[in-house]
Amino acid sequence: MNVVSRGTRNAFRSPLRTGAIVLMLAISIGLILSMLVARGSVNAKINDVKATAGTAVTISPAGIMGFAGGGNPLTNDQVATITKTAHIASTSATLSDQLGTTDTNLVASLELGSFGRRQQRFNSSAPTSARPAPTPRTTVTGTTNPNSISSSGSTLKLTQGATIDGSSSQLVALVGSSLATKNNLTVGNTFTAYGKTVTVMGIFQTGNTFQDSGLIMPLATVQNITDQAGAVTSVVATVDSSDHVDAVVASLKSALGDKADITSQAAQAAASVASLESIASLALAGVVGATIAGAVIVLLAMVMIVRERRREIGVIKAIGGSNSKVIGQFVTEALTLAIVGAIVGLGLGVVASGPMTNSLIKSQASTAQTPQGGINGSARAFRGGLNQINTNLTEVTSSVTPQIFISAIGITLLIAVIGSAVPAWFIARIRPAEVLRTE
Amino acid sequence: MLVVKNLTKSFTSHSGTIMALDNVSMTIETGQFASIIGKSGSGKSTLLSMLGALDVPTSGSIEVDDIDIATLSATKQTSYRAHKIGFVFQHYNLIPNLSALENVTLALEFGGMPARLRQERAEQLLRDVGLNDDEQRRRPSRLSGGQQQRVSIARALANRPAIILADEPTGNLDSETGKKIFDLLHSLSRSENTTILAVTHDMDIAGKTDKTFRLKDGKITT
Repeated sequence: MNVVSRGTRNAFRSPLRTGAIVLMLAISIGLILSMLVARGSVNAKINDVKATAGTAVTISPAGIMGFAGGGNPLTNDQVATITKTAHIASTSATLSDQLGTTDTNLVASLELGSFGRRQQRFNSSAPTSARPAPTPRTTVTGTTNPNSISSSGSTLKLTQGATIDGSSSQLVALVGSSLATKNNLTVGNTFTAYGKTVTVMGIFQTGNTFQDSGLIMPLATVQNITDQAGAVTSVVATVDSSDHVDAVVASLKSALGDKADITSQAAQAAASVASLESIASLALAGVVGATIAGAVIVLLAMVMIVRERRREIGVIKAIGGSNSKVIGQFVTEALTLAIVGAIVGLGLGVVASGPMTNSLIKSQASTAQTPQGGINGSARAFRGGLNQINTNLTEVTSSVTPQIFISAIGITLLIAVIGSAVPAWFIARIRPAEVLRTE
Repeated sequence: MLVVKNLTKSFTSHSGTIMALDNVSMTIETGQFASIIGKSGSGKSTLLSMLGALDVPTSGSIEVDDIDIATLSATKQTSYRAHKIGFVFQHYNLIPNLSALENVTLALEFGGMPARLRQERAEQLLRDVGLNDDEQRRRPSRLSGGQQQRVSIARALANRPAIILADEPTGNLDSETGKKIFDLLHSLSRSENTTILAVTHDMDIAGKTDKTFRLKDGKITT
């Protein structure tokens, strides 16, 4: 029998007391693991969301949101300013318009519905009774980058033909699958828009009813046929590094002033994860609190045990036991209690960490939603990214990783060491002569 | 040989300085069985704790085999207690959750004996003091007072000490058992050539030892 085996055996000397200490420690360690899991899962999700956010910055004319609002589109000069801003790697600009029944020979594939009718009653200054009857319209998006129409932000999916060159001014178009079906259009067919004959180069499908009912044309083409030379209703700029997004936004705000509204995915993502960050902070506070509670439990238990065994410690010293051996024995005892508590506690933690993390996320979920407006044009790619962020926010999955497990075990050992440090000091102060004095 | 010269131990209390031991000198030859008698508070236990390096004297010297233990460092005092001293207490002071055998092997561990040899040595010692194999595996709570004191003596003998210090070794036993324990200590002092110094109230026992010191108010009177 040596110091370790004596210490281990002493830990179970009083089963009732050992059970009570182990139970208290287990709850404390279970809470530590649960909080570590919650913190780890939330932090991983925050990093995911921030990584998903990308480096896109959207610049819209002030006051204009899709086809609503008022004000002036962005000009050529403003677009040039945006393009020349430091750290902007690329830009895609769009100009959206709607083709009425007199503007095109195409039949709109979107039903007008009450929403469409409501939108068109503002297009005339005539009294309501004198306004023309609303008609279904076809949205045309002029863009320098046809892929920006994809709702997910990825490459536009073409079911027929090939994509178009967004920087050209040719009379060519990509037709949404619903619109193509409605008008029996295939690649090579033509249609008219504002009196011009436009050739279908491809059919695209996004899965979004609104987009699949529209047209995509080169930006310059739309500017020309709608007599809006240089006008742009949205620019999405891609910044070269996430580290430069804030600086780019600041530069653009400074350069464009109140003429444009500027939003970045990173800023949206940061706002979205604020609630998750508060959960992570709360979880960290939980870890610290539970660690202190665990250490105090072990400390008080060991102080009580040392006081109770004062005579025994004196005897051990009287028969030749050194301070280090006696302290080693009691530290082993504290470690044994902590380890048994940890085994039970980690088991509890594994079971409780999932529900606890979910409960924390749900309680904060209502504040984690990103506001959305009627974004249009190439900003759809931006919106696609934000949709992904929101999806990610609600899909925090708790998992006990090896690192978290090792952290929990490390904290358990820390608890045992802190909890036995003061008793060790008491032990060192017990003088063997006290054995004779208390006879 | 144990030589004590001008040993003094004083304590400071609210009422002033108390002289627990006052200029005590004594000599005990190797293998002698000596006793100390005196009333309660006469300084017997204090003297024993000085001789056992459990406490340090205020002044004076304690020489065991020509080494002054009063000047040893704390580490060397621990080693001295492990190798040169065996204690027998009135209340036995066995470790309650260890068996009789484990109580003896504990002393052997502190004495530095290799683990593989401890069990055999402890069993032999316990057999020598009269405990059978079954009794050796029992915890102290399942042994009689006499048996516990035998275990205590076996533990004291474990590391073949130069001196055994016994504090009222029969004080907690009935007279018949006390006599047996005394006889055991007496025979051990002869067979093992171990110096034994016992504190006792029992004049019969004191009368049978090789040498008797009488303590009164911290001083040796005879």
